[in-house]
Amino acid sequence: MRLARAHSVHVTHMRVATAVVAIGLLAATAAMAANTAGNADCPFDPTLHRDAQSIRAEVSRVAEFAAPSAGKRRSVGSPPIAYFEARNIIDTHILDALKRAKIAPARVSSDSEFLRRVTLDLAGRIPTSGEAQAFVADTSADKRDKAIDRLLASDEFNDRWTLWFGDLVQNTQFATAIGQGTGAGSVAYYKWIRQSLAERKPYDAMVRELLTGSGDPVLVGTANYTYRLKQGNGPLQDTWDNLATQSGAQFLGMQLMCISCHNGAGHLELVNTGLAHLKRRQLWELAAFFSKTSINRFVQEPNVFPLDYVLNTTSGNKSPRQPIEGQSDIVLPRYLNGGAPADGELWRTAYARYLTADRQFARAAVNYIWKELFGLGIVEPADNFDLEKLDTQASHPQLLEDLTDAFIAGGYDLRALMRVMTQSNTYQLASHYDTGAWNESYTPYFARHYPRRLQAEMLFDAMYRATSSRFDVCQGTPAICSQPGALHVTKTVASPDPYFLLGFNIGQFLSDFGAGDRDVIERSNSPSLVQAISMMNDSLVLRACRRSMNTTVTAILNETLDPDRITERLYLATLSRYPTANERMLATQYLRGGKVEDRTEDLQFVLLNKLEFLFH
Amino acid sequence: MKRNDCQICATPPAFPLNGAGFSRRGFIRLGGLGLVASFFSDVFHPSLLEAQSAIHPTVRGTAKNCITIFLEGGASQADLWDLKEGGWTPAALAPTSYGDVRWPQGYMPKTAQHLGKLAFIRSGLAWVAVHPLAQLWAQIGRNPASLTGRIAPHIGAVVAIESYATRKPDDVLPAFIAFETPKTTTGYFPARYGPLVIRQRGSGVSSLRHEDGNARLDQRLQLLDQLDADRTGGLAKEANDFADFAVTARRMTESPEISPLFNVSGADHIRYGNTTFGDSLVLAKQLIASRRGARFVQSTSYGWDHHSDIYNALRGRTSELDNAYSALLADLAAMPGSEAGKTLLDETIVMIYSEFGRTVGPLTNQGGRDHYGRMGIVFAGGGVRGGRIIGKTDQTGGKAVEYGWKANRDVRPEDVTATLYSAMGIDYTTVRHDDPLNRGFDYVPNAREGQYEPVDEIFS
Repeated sequence: MRLARAHSVHVTHMRVATAVVAIGLLAATAAMAANTAGNADCPFDPTLHRDAQSIRAEVSRVAEFAAPSAGKRRSVGSPPIAYFEARNIIDTHILDALKRAKIAPARVSSDSEFLRRVTLDLAGRIPTSGEAQAFVADTSADKRDKAIDRLLASDEFNDRWTLWFGDLVQNTQFATAIGQGTGAGSVAYYKWIRQSLAERKPYDAMVRELLTGSGDPVLVGTANYTYRLKQGNGPLQDTWDNLATQSGAQFLGMQLMCISCHNGAGHLELVNTGLAHLKRRQLWELAAFFSKTSINRFVQEPNVFPLDYVLNTTSGNKSPRQPIEGQSDIVLPRYLNGGAPADGELWRTAYARYLTADRQFARAAVNYIWKELFGLGIVEPADNFDLEKLDTQASHPQLLEDLTDAFIAGGYDLRALMRVMTQSNTYQLASHYDTGAWNESYTPYFARHYPRRLQAEMLFDAMYRATSSRFDVCQGTPAICSQPGALHVTKTVASPDPYFLLGFNIGQFLSDFGAGDRDVIERSNSPSLVQAISMMNDSLVLRACRRSMNTTVTAILNETLDPDRITERLYLATLSRYPTANERMLATQYLRGGKVEDRTEDLQFVLLNKLEFLFH
Repeated sequence: MKRNDCQICATPPAFPLNGAGFSRRGFIRLGGLGLVASFFSDVFHPSLLEAQSAIHPTVRGTAKNCITIFLEGGASQADLWDLKEGGWTPAALAPTSYGDVRWPQGYMPKTAQHLGKLAFIRSGLAWVAVHPLAQLWAQIGRNPASLTGRIAPHIGAVVAIESYATRKPDDVLPAFIAFETPKTTTGYFPARYGPLVIRQRGSGVSSLRHEDGNARLDQRLQLLDQLDADRTGGLAKEANDFADFAVTARRMTESPEISPLFNVSGADHIRYGNTTFGDSLVLAKQLIASRRGARFVQSTSYGWDHHSDIYNALRGRTSELDNAYSALLADLAAMPGSEAGKTLLDETIVMIYSEFGRTVGPLTNQGGRDHYGRMGIVFAGGGVRGGRIIGKTDQTGGKAVEYGWKANRDVRPEDVTATLYSAMGIDYTTVRHDDPLNRGFDYVPNAREGQYEPVDEIFS
């Protein structure tokens, strides 16, 4: 599908080529056509992607989508499809597409499944046994909305979304590109992010503060944004380019890196039509907003010796920067819409102003948050928007625009955005699909909630919470750590950066589960052999099951030796639900098959290894 | 870190169409088009011509397996693989001639016995002299700051993904195994092609032991199977993948054939030098020799960043390397390969590499050597012709006076990557079209345009 579209774009490009070039391209195309065997749709040599089918299925979230109208038709005579009720504009749009394609959505999730999911998504933890029981027992009609509000208002919300934001801006202690530690700046950065979220700072204000942060990164959280993007092994222009490309990806969802070495034309036609029309000079113009900032261990604007973005580099990490005939070798700052700094305005302030006023800023943010909550963006990849093809790149383009409007009108309030999303029935659909046979082509319709593995920190914290295990890490001497305000990390979701816990086996666990390093190793929630080995054999896991270690198992056995009670309590604590009748039967049978204390430990181990614990 | 003049300031692998690095040969070979390069500078798109690339890649396919030894910190090539003597050379180094090779006999005596198996590249040149960048550069075979650098997997993951087509049901080990190595990234590839990272504890790998005993594990897993019985019912494909990994994990923990592969016997431990690094090479040998799916194993020797007191510091490192490496070569040479008449060494290419080299000539005022672009790479096995020396440097070992191969330029990490792929039967000009950037991921940057290629001369 993707390649077919690429093929048609290629043909279009050919038609507009100049005569001279067209000869060469025609010859090339003829040769290419001669070379392709088998699939006439595919302009590329099929042996190149002999495994691409299976790989593509595994490389999640990156395929382009079929238009919503190309869904599978249900056969005549099958029972009528049950559609969920539309609670808000999200449901309206999603239902519209589902109905046109005649795709059956999954059922709405059970109370237990919903509570566990929304608690993880908004607060980064699993529900307590008490919460799980109370929620099921609650008969009020608006209990789900109330749970959402409670979680949005919780302090744990701040931890969970600080983690997300820290990933976005790659807050870490050590950055390869800088070639030296970013050091204690990561804690100041972390604190600023958390404080901003806690005081409900509008998202656009957060980003403006970040882009303009100055001072010592160790002391000033926001100064870390700029310092983090320094490129140690190249000319200053490499660092300024980083600031433009990375802020473009993080806050505009655009892959401006593609035009940091060359124009879009002649390179990106098959990749991104919007970017294909941009010029390298436009990237330089964005980067030029940073040339008056000195970026060292101390970030300062205006620079004592402010510089211009001069086209005079021949080495570094980009192709040579040289003026094209007739153009100046000094590039002045200009935003993508042509805007320049106002008189007397600091240049980074101008950049932040234009960027956050850009509709694409709001749109990209909406899509990133959607992706985090739904498992898949409305636009994929979320950092590679094609602004000239939104109506086909987005699975639900009008929904995206409506949510963007709402986000802007609502003052860039992240909680309000998440409220709308989590309140929708679309979000609350079950991950289990039993209303028909699931077909991969249903993916862009959000016909179910996409089950995915818990991310590393949430998985670890879930394991610790379920088993009443504890840890406390503070980086510093006992004297420092006993002072009020000293940073104690007692759950991994609240770790300021990937290195904070690295010296401990907790850090290894997180690394094995794909937490990444916010530098060269991106976060991944894909399963791996190492993870399976860890859940099976890691002493962290086994200790959490032992009655000798003051765990949930300890508490349960102190209270009861009744297999049925034991089973129920372990299920509630670990899986946030009651066991089914069949599970009760199997588990109690097992518990009765030997020494009940040992077997209780076994059951705890089994529940932690259950796929349902790891995926949701 | 002292900056030295421009051995390492050369233009990095820039995108070819803007001049630097583009091989004009590429255009001429496209033949018949009769069009001048400059017309193409904004219109030419490499992938439009992919199928017509006139570069005919030479893929050797002489190795089935690969063991890489990464010397972390920047190994001093002028004291090891390209020994240059002067007033700075301590007597203990005991330079000795073996044919054309001058060898630090005093520091690496055991490896001297295997010189006939080794090929040296002396005209290697790193792009950068900064540890983390250069380490990553060497291990992903491209500039980490480039566009594909951001999604690029470790070389071992490429070998893994390419080897998956020929895996047998019996192949329970992951194809790519790494001992605690800095920054092994799977890039955009699915996790199954990423490394099984082994943390060594004592004489084995602790994570493959179930502390509560295998009998108890067995019981537990039986209950798990019962409770997870409908796991294929609603959950994602990835959940099923995890379940498959769990089956493998179980086999590795419980199987009497597999779990011993992760244990080092007392005798081997001593023979390989009585070190953790030595153990890692024992394990590498065992895992490869088992023919249960492992094809690429990387081990890292730490601590080669000798800015001060180098000749004292080198002693411990070279001793560790010498003991382990020589034992590995001896063992591989004595074990049969999978094909009749071949040894395991014949089928396994072993490479020693580092992120960059060290300054040459007299020592610094700290009695050490600083980061330097000129570096050496050592190959053995897997079709490599022993005795080959690629490239020749000047008196102190800094500048290349002869490059020693057909590309007639410095050998870069990208070329080294291409060399490994070629040895392993992988078409190094492959461009995958499953990348998240949607522009194509090339195994070796711009190999189709001829920008980098294997150092074929080490095989012939």
